[in-house]
Amino acid sequence: MIASLNKYWQSFLVGIQSNIVYRWNFFLRGLFSLTHLIVIYALWSAAYQGHSAIGGFSLGQTLTYFVVILTLQFFIGAFNEDYQVSEEIRNGLINQFLLKPINYFSYRFSIFLSARTVSGLLILIPVSIAYLFLRHDLALPHESWRLWLGLPALLMSALIQFTIAYCFGLLSFWFLEIQSFVILSYAIETLLGGQVFPLDLMPHLLYRISQYLPYFYQMYFPAAIFTGRIATPAEALSGLGIQACWVVALLSIATLLWRRGLRRHTAVGG
Amino acid sequence: MKLTHYARIWLASARYSIIRAMMFRFDFLMWTLVEFFWMAVNILLIGVIYEHTSSIAGWTKYQMLLLVGTSMILQRLMMGLFWSNLFELGRNVRSGQFDFFLCQPGNPIFMVSTRKIDPDGLLNSFVAIAVVIYSAHQLGLHPGIIDIALYIVLLFISLVIHYSALLLIISATFWIIGTQGIEGGYFNLFEFSRLPKEALRGVASLIFVYGLPAVIASNVPANVLIHGFKPTYMLWLTVVAAAWFAIAVWCFKRGLRRYSSASS
Repeated sequence: MIASLNKYWQSFLVGIQSNIVYRWNFFLRGLFSLTHLIVIYALWSAAYQGHSAIGGFSLGQTLTYFVVILTLQFFIGAFNEDYQVSEEIRNGLINQFLLKPINYFSYRFSIFLSARTVSGLLILIPVSIAYLFLRHDLALPHESWRLWLGLPALLMSALIQFTIAYCFGLLSFWFLEIQSFVILSYAIETLLGGQVFPLDLMPHLLYRISQYLPYFYQMYFPAAIFTGRIATPAEALSGLGIQACWVVALLSIATLLWRRGLRRHTAVGG
Repeated sequence: MKLTHYARIWLASARYSIIRAMMFRFDFLMWTLVEFFWMAVNILLIGVIYEHTSSIAGWTKYQMLLLVGTSMILQRLMMGLFWSNLFELGRNVRSGQFDFFLCQPGNPIFMVSTRKIDPDGLLNSFVAIAVVIYSAHQLGLHPGIIDIALYIVLLFISLVIHYSALLLIISATFWIIGTQGIEGGYFNLFEFSRLPKEALRGVASLIFVYGLPAVIASNVPANVLIHGFKPTYMLWLTVVAAAWFAIAVWCFKRGLRRYSSASS
């Protein structure tokens, strides 16, 4: 068991090294995200004029939500994992994994974790800059249960993010070009994951429907626990239950796609 | 080379691009859907915010929708006409394939900018136009022919601003080779085009309204339909477009001098 985990630990370490090469790329991407925060600040400040609360939350709480969402994107969001899987299938690089005692999903997930460790730590620099300007506006709740329930939610969100990207990558077994699928899915995830607006601001029925979709648990759910948009531990626990179901469902889909895909796969060359 | 020759080259490229899109119909359909969905995301944001408030910086829901529609027309035209070309310019400079464009008998900027068009982007510009028409209808606006003509002229001037900004960003590749992802800066900049200029205050207003051209590129054309024509606004937009175009062309030409190919 430990020996088995050790090989993925090694791939995690190699992943850290190779992702440090792209540190400037991640850093600049984080810095560019600050302009997105400026747009959010301008838009929502203007929307709050004459209102002390929107959807029951103050401007400070809404801004905190967006800062947390931005930070989480760099800690748990899937960036280009779908393309990496797709490239390895199209170029035949997965052939080497078929011949080794290594699980491709676990290998890719360890690389994903290393990439997010690097990008997550780097986003803290631009977020700290943003904090200097927004410190009087931000409002994080202090209840300790938010941390204890938020952390498992965060881990499962990372798993959901990665597994969806992995599944899209596996579509390369069937399609030559997956870019349009990926960008369409990204648009849906951006909207229903709560990156465009907090999902609780949607009409109640739509919000209820969104709670049963996997996108809700990709980003919004942990952010809502941390920022107070999910009000009670009972609500968070029920969400964790649905989230766990989605993790199992998506892992099953990934396994099914991998097995079916391998049947179609043809390895050529030596 | 005469202007008509350039027009013929562009038409030939457009014809080739449309034939290609029709050959990969599923791909064309998917990309059309992708662009359509991204537009829907922006419209939904407006819808959700105005569920809870009646005004953003003095702009009503349909005024804001008209502004967002205008911004979407500009971005769809950019996507349809220039995005792929300029995106590939960066990649070609890195790989050395840019040589191919330098060998062509025509102005290098024109040749790199018009090699192909993306019909899905152009098709979705009609959806964006429909959003503007719907918003104008909801606002009870009845613009005359002259107002509409001025709106179109201002859109083209704003398109020059968008084009210049992207060309300027991509031209950085001549100096810094490792610029993969730099084109994302275009989207970061023009995210501001969905904001009313009144929403930005203080330093942010100085930078994003008067310094960088993102906000006025959408606000000035939208204002013609909402509040009527203001010559000073048109002059402002024209001067800004001319200045940014001149800077972008100058930077491209300076970059061209540095270019030394990458092949062996």
